[in-house]
Parts: sequence; C-alpha cells; structure tokens
Amino acid sequence: MHTQSFRVTLALLAPALILFFALAIYPLIRLFALSLFATDYGFDGATWVGLENYADLIGHRFFRTAAWNTLVFAVLATLSQVGLGLVLALLVNGRLPGSRFVLPLLLMPYVLSTMVVTAIWRAWYHYDFGFLNNALRGLDLPPVEWLFNPDIAMLSLVLVDTWQTTPLTFLIILAGLQAVPEEVYEAAEVDGAGPVRVFFAITLPLLTPYLFLAALLRSVDAFKIFDKVFALTGGGPGLATETLSMYVYRLAFRFFDVGAASAAAIIMVVISGLLALVYAARILRKKT
Amino acid sequence: MSVKRFSPVRALAAYAITAIFLVPILWMFSTSFRLPIDYMSTSNMLIPSQVTLEHYRDLLRGDLLGKAMNSLIVAIGTTVLAIAVAFPAAYALVRMRFPKGLDLTFLMFVLLVKLTPPISLAIPLYQVLRSLGLLDTLAGLILVYQVYALPFAIWMLLGFIRDVPVEYEEAAMVDGVPLLRRLRSIVLPIMTPGLIATSVFVVILSWNEFAYALLFIQSPDKFTLPTFIATLITEDETFWGQLSAVGLMASLPILVMVGFVQKGLTRGFSGGLK
Repeated sequence: MHTQSFRVTLALLAPALILFFALAIYPLIRLFALSLFATDYGFDGATWVGLENYADLIGHRFFRTAAWNTLVFAVLATLSQVGLGLVLALLVNGRLPGSRFVLPLLLMPYVLSTMVVTAIWRAWYHYDFGFLNNALRGLDLPPVEWLFNPDIAMLSLVLVDTWQTTPLTFLIILAGLQAVPEEVYEAAEVDGAGPVRVFFAITLPLLTPYLFLAALLRSVDAFKIFDKVFALTGGGPGLATETLSMYVYRLAFRFFDVGAASAAAIIMVVISGLLALVYAARILRKKT
Repeated sequence: MSVKRFSPVRALAAYAITAIFLVPILWMFSTSFRLPIDYMSTSNMLIPSQVTLEHYRDLLRGDLLGKAMNSLIVAIGTTVLAIAVAFPAAYALVRMRFPKGLDLTFLMFVLLVKLTPPISLAIPLYQVLRSLGLLDTLAGLILVYQVYALPFAIWMLLGFIRDVPVEYEEAAMVDGVPLLRRLRSIVLPIMTPGLIATSVFVVILSWNEFAYALLFIQSPDKFTLPTFIATLITEDETFWGQLSAVGLMASLPILVMVGFVQKGLTRGFSGGLK
C-alpha cells in the first residue's frame, strides 16, 4: 500500500491539518504571545512586559494555592480511582452470574454529563436534607458540612470524581486481568501457591502496565479539572478547592487580566506536555 | 484467586458495590417524580409516597426542548465533522508511507492536543471565534469541539483501520480501482462497526461538554443541556425535582447507548496501547 504519492497523503491529511492549525497551533502561539503582555483582551493597547507575568504568578499566593490544590486533587483522585477500580475488577473478573448486566450498569456514572453529576451531588451534600447527612443521622453520627468546611471540601470533590470515573479505571484494569492466560493460574495452583501469593507474584506484575495506564489517564484528566469545581464549590470555601483551570478561568473571563491568565495557561500547557511525553514514551516502547 | 472457581462471597460483593454505585442515579430517577415535601426531608426514602409529573410539566413549559435541540444539533454536527476529517487522516497515517517519521510526529502532536487542558486554549479560541463572527453560535461550538473530538476520533479510528485486511485493498489496487472507490467499497463497509463506536463516543463527548459551552455561548436560547442544567443548580433545594427531571432527560439518550460504549471504551482510551 505504499505506492501512493505523497500528494495523495497530504490531501487526506489536509482537513485535519487545517483544523489543528486553526484550533491548536495558532491559538497556542497566540496564547504564548499574549502571556508576554499586560492586556485585558488582545494586542491593541497591550503593554509589553516580557516574562513579568510569569514571575508575578510564581510569587502569587493564589496561583501557588491553585497549583498545590490541583496536585493534591490529582494525587488523591488517581489513587482512589485506581485502587477502587482494581478492587472492583478483581471482584468482577472470572465467573460472575449476570456480568452481562453488571458491566453496563457499572459504566453508567461515567457516561453522565458532569453537570448532571454535580446536580445530583450538590443535593446529596446538602446539610439539612442531603442523602449523605440523612444517612449519617440515621446512624446517629453528626452531619458533615461537605462543601462548606475547608478541610472537607477537597475530599468531597474527590468523592464525586471517584464515583464518576472509577468505571473507566475499572474497565481498563479488568481488560488487563482478562489478558492473563488461564494456564498461568493453573500452573501456580499445581505448584501449591496460595491466593495471596498468586496475587502478588503473578496477577500484580502482569497488571502493572494496565494500572499505569489507568493512573496516567486519570492524572491527566484530574489535572484539567474544571466543571466539577465550577459547579460544586466555585473554588471555595475561601481557596480550599481552587484549581489551576478555575484560576485561569477567573483571571481571564471574570477579571479580564488576559496577560496573566495566558501565562498561567501556558504553564498548564507545559505541564500537560510533560505528561504527554510520559504517555508517548509508553506508546513508543510498546511499538518497538 | 483462581479465575474459574465461582465464589458466592465475591459475587455478592460485586453486586453490592454495583448497587452502591447506582444509588445516586436511582435517587435522581425517583426525585424527578417526587413532591418537594417528599425529598425535602431528613429521611432517605427513595420510593415516592405519591408520584408527580409536575417537574416534567414545569420543564416542558420552559424551553427544555429548545435546549435539547441545541444539544442534538451540536452533537450531530461535531460528530459528522470529526469523523469526516479524522477518517481520511487516520487512513493516511495507517496505510501511507511518511518521510522522516512525520506520521509519528503528527500523532504525538495530536496526543498533546488531546491532553492539553481545554481551559488553557479557551482564551485564544474565544478571540478566534470572535474574529470569525462565530462567538455565541452553535456552528462556533461545533468548530471548537473539534479540539476534543478530532484527537479522540483519529486515535480511535487508527486501531479500526489497522484491523481492515490490507490484502483486499491491494487486490483492488492491482485491478486499477481508484483510492476513493476503494475507500467507499472496501474500507468503509468493513469498518462500519468501528465508525459507529467512534461516533457514539464523540456524540457523548459533545452532548456532555460544559466548559466551552459556558464560555462561548451567551444567549440563553442557544444553551445546550449542560449549561441549562448549570443555571438550575442553586442553593434552593425546592428545585431538586426539576433538576432531577432535566438530568434524567439529558442522560437517557446516553444511558441507552452505554451498551455500545462498553466494548469500545478501553480501546478508545488506551490510545493504541493494547
């Protein structure tokens, strides 16, 4: 199939190239240029400030809090989702009557719109009538300020994200478990290895690439988090759940400090670029 | 840990966790039919004492159908554009020879776009849309959704095109069948299931999207369902019924497609890793 001329290839790629140029390459260049100015919109009347926006950001308490919160959220969300996904996959793997129905049902939270998800959980976190506090009171436990206690709001955010996206990590890890050949387990059993030994000596090592993939996908996504923060906490109470995406949004679209917002956005692009490199290295290693 | 052996305890645990995962969705379903006096309560009764359709009536009296129509237009437009652009690109990447690893460079760039936080592109995209006169239009939204849809569709279609046996195409090529006809009569029919799976994903992606819909659409009559739902989310718990009703109606079309999704999900998200 290699006899086509390069012109045909280019023609096939052209629509994609044009869209990527208009929607990613040009915008990224423009974003970087904007980050070197003090401006409230574009380049008209903008003042050149060089790298000052970057220096200001790094010294700014709000930005550093947002960066720290994003890291905390990404770590907590990734760990809980991969952990819970692993437990679920181990439970569902193998003979499970009705697994034809269990799998699609388990997937449901993942395909819901994040706005639907936040609508449900805003109600569940309600102090007086929310499902969770009702349940706590039923157990004679004190109710919790899920979204308005600065020490708890971040965990509440992680809980919603975990409910919504554990189906994805679960499916990835399940695919990994199903790729382990049956004979491996039979051999181990013949050798008299107990279940715990089998798990740590066989299952876990064979599962590592899948756990890694699930963790990578989730941390990349967790790093972007915007919708849930926007609709659940608005970044509050105080700055307790302010994340980088929320910070860029506020700076650009609420305070019209477009220069500084662009600098913060470029920092986000660089970080996601590094994550993309890890991802890419992984794919390339697999190919060779 | 043996895979073959059936363990009732393990099965029960699996069912129990599945049930726990479903409670919030059941709550939404039941609340959409409950009277406010029922759900503004300190007990967790999921079964309504009295079934009401008032929340659905209130929504239909508002502009729910208009919002649903906007969502539908954007979802279909985004999907058609993404597949039409991604398919030839993915085909070229799989089947054609590229000088100096240009194909890999392109794929890595696509990956970078896929991983870039949408909010960081929002500032320049806002200005691009405004200068094109596409701000506050559904067409503009369809265009910017390609930022999500295109990388996703290209990566997912790559795998499906690799699965098409190259021999059929080679035979047709020897017979002098031109490229476009080969694509139409050989490649596309074989990979129809893959095209459908990819389309389902892109539909879900654009149906659910919130950030760009929030930033680039200002007129309420052009809101999609997620931005409409966001306007209903308030501290006022009396709205829970309406919110649940609109949430359910926004989710039903997607939940119906979930069967399709399950098969393609790991494939689509592992980005050619497996």
